[in-house]
Amino acid sequence: MIDISALLDEIKAQPFRDIVITTPHTGVVTFADIHQGDKAHGPQGQWKEKPGTVIATLERERNPKPICSAEKGVISLLHTELEGRFVEAGTPLAVLRHQLTRAEVENLILRKALHLFPAPERAKYYFTPDVDKKIRASDAHSVIVREGMELLIMSRMKREVPLHYSGPSGVIYAVYFKYNENIDAGAPLIGVCPQDQLPTIQEVIMRVQTDWAEKD
Amino acid sequence: MDNNIEKRLQNLRDRLTYIGDIFAGKHRDNADLLEEKLSSFTERARSDSLEDPYGDLAALEDLFNYVERRLEDNITAMDRVRIVRHPQRICLRDILENVYDNFTEVGGQDEYSLDPGMLIARAVITRRRGKKSYTQSVMVIGQEKGHGAEFRNGGSVKPWGNAKARQYMRVAETEGIPIHTYIFTPGSYPIEDYPGAAQQIARNIYCMAGLRVPVVTVISEGGSGGAEAIGLADRRLMLSHGYYSVISPEGAAAIEGHLKAGQRATPELIEQCARNLKITALDNLKFGYIDRIVVEPPLGARPWHFDFFRHLRQEVLRATDEVVISTRTLPVLKGLALARVRQPDANLDEMYTRWGLSPAAKDRLLAHRQQKFLRLSRMAARDRRPFFAKMAVALWDWASKPWVSFKYDFYRKHQRRIRTFMEEMDNEWEVFKSRLFSPWRKLTRKLPTGRDDAGKTKELTALSSWSGEGHRKRWNYLSPRYKIDRAVTCPNSAAYGCLDLWGPDLFAEFAGVCSHCGYHFPMEPEWYVKNVFDLGSVFEFNSEIEAGNPLNFPGFDERITAAQKSTKCKSGCMTFEARIDNIKLVVAMLMGTFRGGSVGAAEGCKFVEAAQRAEKKRYPFLAYVHGTAGIRIQEGTHGVIQMPRCTVAVRRYIESGGLYMVLYDTNSFAGPVASFLGCSPYQFAVRSSNIGFAGPGVIKETTGMDIPPKYHRSYRALSRGHIQGIWDRREIRANLKQALLTIGGRNLYYR
Amino acid sequence: MVENAQDLPPLHEHRILVANRGEIAMRIMRACRKLGASFTAIYTADDAASGHVRLAREMGEKDSLYRVSSYHDANELMAVADATGCTAVHPGYGFFAEDFRFARRVTKRDRKLVFIGPSWKIIRELGDKINTKRLARSLSVPPVPGSDRPIYDELEAERIAKTVFEFQERQGIDRPLVLVKASAGGGGMGIEEVYDPDQFRSVYRRVRNYALRQFKDEGVLIEQRITDFNHLEVQIVSDRSGRSPVHFGTRNCSIQSTGRQKRLEVAPGFAADTLSYTFDADRVLRDIVDYSLAMARKVGYDNVGTWEWIVTRKGDPFLMEVNTRIQVENGVSARIARIRGQGEIDLIAEQIRLGLGEPLGYGQADVTFDGLGIEYRIIAEDPNNNFTPWVGHIESFSWKPEPWLTMLTHVPVDEPYEIPTEFDPNLALAIVWGKNLDEAKARGLAFLQNLRLTGHNASGDPLQSNVEFLKTSTERILRF
Repeated sequence: MIDISALLDEIKAQPFRDIVITTPHTGVVTFADIHQGDKAHGPQGQWKEKPGTVIATLERERNPKPICSAEKGVISLLHTELEGRFVEAGTPLAVLRHQLTRAEVENLILRKALHLFPAPERAKYYFTPDVDKKIRASDAHSVIVREGMELLIMSRMKREVPLHYSGPSGVIYAVYFKYNENIDAGAPLIGVCPQDQLPTIQEVIMRVQTDWAEKD
Repeated sequence: MDNNIEKRLQNLRDRLTYIGDIFAGKHRDNADLLEEKLSSFTERARSDSLEDPYGDLAALEDLFNYVERRLEDNITAMDRVRIVRHPQRICLRDILENVYDNFTEVGGQDEYSLDPGMLIARAVITRRRGKKSYTQSVMVIGQEKGHGAEFRNGGSVKPWGNAKARQYMRVAETEGIPIHTYIFTPGSYPIEDYPGAAQQIARNIYCMAGLRVPVVTVISEGGSGGAEAIGLADRRLMLSHGYYSVISPEGAAAIEGHLKAGQRATPELIEQCARNLKITALDNLKFGYIDRIVVEPPLGARPWHFDFFRHLRQEVLRATDEVVISTRTLPVLKGLALARVRQPDANLDEMYTRWGLSPAAKDRLLAHRQQKFLRLSRMAARDRRPFFAKMAVALWDWASKPWVSFKYDFYRKHQRRIRTFMEEMDNEWEVFKSRLFSPWRKLTRKLPTGRDDAGKTKELTALSSWSGEGHRKRWNYLSPRYKIDRAVTCPNSAAYGCLDLWGPDLFAEFAGVCSHCGYHFPMEPEWYVKNVFDLGSVFEFNSEIEAGNPLNFPGFDERITAAQKSTKCKSGCMTFEARIDNIKLVVAMLMGTFRGGSVGAAEGCKFVEAAQRAEKKRYPFLAYVHGTAGIRIQEGTHGVIQMPRCTVAVRRYIESGGLYMVLYDTNSFAGPVASFLGCSPYQFAVRSSNIGFAGPGVIKETTGMDIPPKYHRSYRALSRGHIQGIWDRREIRANLKQALLTIGGRNLYYR
Repeated sequence: MVENAQDLPPLHEHRILVANRGEIAMRIMRACRKLGASFTAIYTADDAASGHVRLAREMGEKDSLYRVSSYHDANELMAVADATGCTAVHPGYGFFAEDFRFARRVTKRDRKLVFIGPSWKIIRELGDKINTKRLARSLSVPPVPGSDRPIYDELEAERIAKTVFEFQERQGIDRPLVLVKASAGGGGMGIEEVYDPDQFRSVYRRVRNYALRQFKDEGVLIEQRITDFNHLEVQIVSDRSGRSPVHFGTRNCSIQSTGRQKRLEVAPGFAADTLSYTFDADRVLRDIVDYSLAMARKVGYDNVGTWEWIVTRKGDPFLMEVNTRIQVENGVSARIARIRGQGEIDLIAEQIRLGLGEPLGYGQADVTFDGLGIEYRIIAEDPNNNFTPWVGHIESFSWKPEPWLTMLTHVPVDEPYEIPTEFDPNLALAIVWGKNLDEAKARGLAFLQNLRLTGHNASGDPLQSNVEFLKTSTERILRF
């Protein structure tokens, strides 16, 4: 049993996360009209169809691309010295001080409450086709995992190896990997909630919903 | 104060608010005067200090009448818009109750209806001739605004509402009773839920283009597509205070003012647009898009104008009788009958014309209706060909008809028979020959075949002859963008991880298709003309017909000239004959590069002529929609009328045995999709295209709904059953050929 | 694309973008240094520990190393090339080496660069298997027996398949096999074998439908499937004139993994003086060299390239394909070659020099060969389990230096190394030279014996490598 209050207090003491905005590829940087201390917002709209605040424009091969903020926050650092310069891929442009949202806090606490299934190797991971179909049709909560079930495909070096689940059976409550993204060995892939613990998890969510005030 | 006076006062109060509402602040002085008189009368009436309340009231009412008549002279186009939208305006139920003698609502009742915005009723009219009375049935179909009742949705009909209308038109056709439609709609509700706004309107128009019963339409508020969904009629009457337009004045103002979502147009701009769009009954009568104006009382009919309903009854009876009588063949009797019903003071209630028609009369009815629409709007397209050239074309057209009909109807039929005979003879001869030579063949087979082996080895090891040497696909036309050295980002890159594409590869070799995810970037119309059809087979016709400015919309001449200059085309529709692997076909192409591919009188005219040419030459007819933003709003009803017009042309072509296919590319929206394009049984789309009735901005504006991204993607249209398939741009040629051969087959198109 | 040496700046004014990673990037950088040209290397975040990054830092000056998002993104390469003022691009092998579109972009963009490799038209022409096959036949160079054009008609396909079966029967082949492959396919997709003529029709239809779905073209090729063969290569080198190609001998690459990946290469292709063959091995080598040169001359081949051949047990050579790039195993040919008696040949330096427009400067008569070279590809993989790649942490990697040994590796020897998961786990190339087959084999075994390679993965399992496989394979070198 986890102590939700203690966890919440811990997070409340440190309610920020610094997000470093980096260049996705090489190119010449032009900063948007934005300054240190400005507020930035993440993608908006009902379907997140409107991109976030433009931080800078990265031009490569005469193709300027906006670099947008992925989350809401305050710009705490802006590398304006890079203005007009050709930079490498992965160069930090700005740091965004982002206050944790309710969903993120939920996620943080759930990570402690759920059974985490870790990645055995650094590789890319996918769900097996039938599991993937189920998840796409409804959501991850609809999939019940059991010990030894063929759940994931580990892909690396152009080879794909099936991965069997081990741990308590339950529903997949959280998915921590993204399509085509390398996951380090030991990092959690999915969070599983055993059936009998569902009420506990619901309680966690309720607590976060009531105790965590999102500020603008 | 007795109840009667109170009632009449309430009526006057309503009239006063009505005046205030429809003039939106104008003519304040008149309204003030009336208000003052009314309140002083009310005060005095309340305190019972009037000697002759009824006399004073009558005087007050006279004053109201007088002021209303005076204001009537100053009514503007925008005032008319406000009149038809006013909750006090008559609506369909009022008409059903007052114009017809009895009725039964069908297809739902009040709010318990599939779509309460669309009201359908079986109504009866009883007429007397001498002592005999005759009861005649009609199917009444129309939008119901319900005096502003929320559930009626302002007469904005959902796709299924229009489907209901079409169903009962079919019922009326089966029953052989005339249809009266009443148009009270600001436009259709632009959602794409099954069957889809555009698709259903197209089906309705196509259906009406071939309905074998008389159809009479009365227009009060004729908002574009929603109006056309039930508006293709033999006689179109219009209420004198109604409007009939391609778009709401607000919508036009938003487009003219280049407004972004959320911004509002100024009242002056809206007023100006309403005036420029020429939306009044008089304008439309002058253009010929309506046949008659039904005069309303000053400032528009309201439910208490009982005289108006009587008048309206006479007019719809007259229109229906006229339609029926004009299908008769005996010239003298027909003329007499027509003259009788057309007499202005004729009481149609005391005349009787049978509304049932014989099959032959139904054919004539249909021919009349189709011809009527085909003739419309010809003058709105500019044709700068010299008179002689036009005459020569017309003459050739007339002279070649018998030859074509001989060639296809007579010669081809017999030719097939001769060929079948020859083939059978040939078969017999082959059988005979093989019997004759069989002993000889047995002998030769036994001989050693060493030589043969060497030949076979050679086949496997030596160079064979092959004509497909240059099998690497080369395009005949490359987008000029291929000359620009720059990288291009695929819009799907976030979802599929596509790397940036190099422009010169993308726009030349890749034919504008992302090599990773298959997203199709828009290409120029020329790309299709030169890469889809056989090289050098394209023969353009009617290129002289020019898009013009029939409404003299201010500033539009320059914009048309600019579009003509940048595209080097005279209009947004290019019509040509072409071949695909020697299959000849007629193509009408709507070009998204010419004012968004919008359709006006010139485009419609060319489309109709292309359909007629295909019919005459017995070629398949392809509508290739490179892109269309809808009807060209600056042409007003000259544009809207292309919806029924072109659909009529298409229906005539299809029914004469032609194969009509539509291929959508880039973005295809609004009127054309909701009529002559959407009515094709074979519609295909190029990948990454968007198809729909109204764009996201318009949907937000009219319904207040946010629509999800990808709402108009062709894949959704495919799942909904609107289109039949989605093609890769690079395979259009092969797919078209296959479609022509499999769908066309022997009977649908003439090779 | 014939360019004159005079029109181009001298070598030392060039800056070359090294558009590759690992071992080949290191060889290109060293070659640039040798020629006096500058270079710009690239790397990705995942690959930061690779030896080529260290080498670029050690050898390079300003602008000689850039981090990019991916080696596969041509835009990144072009942007870095422009930002650093590169004049030429060396694609190495893999990635963009045989991508004619990339070569075309490099040479046709507004800021033009030299593509160090054949001109894009040649890459395109020889990259098309039907085209190559027909070109070969037109010069009486024998490709694999079968159709040399796509077959669209079922009856014709059946007739050709029958002929291929009969052809093999006449040659005395016990189990004749026919290969049906999608003519528009590639990379092993849409290929099926037929062993029974009665089965052909259904296989044909399957492949045809697959081809139609996948490549929108239902053409198929029908060929003999050759099972018992040796895999040989001819190294061709030519300057931009394309008129006087020379060869740098042959290589035998028949020792391969189960997935048909080369693991051990030997130059020259056969050792007729030590071993006995069922056919005239010298004649076969002569033939394939002559055929390859004839084709190179015909197309005006203008850089380095490799003609790949299969040689049957009866000594019939068939052209398989042309690799229009430098290959991994080029070093083993260079090791035994001499130009006018001079050793220490560097084919990559030659490629750069010729690519930048310098004339060849020697003829076929000036190229001689001495001894025998073996190249071992040392790879972290499990040869007993289908050569499954092994990923993990390398703790130590060392070998005994010898004058007859050339070691090419991007794996650092003085610190541990994490094998990146994005790429093949190739660790090193070891080229061993001996004056004859026996000496080379003995030295090879000695090298492998002294090689130290240890490590473990996240779950603590020890490193797996193909060293044992290479040891046992050494015994069967050049045997056929």
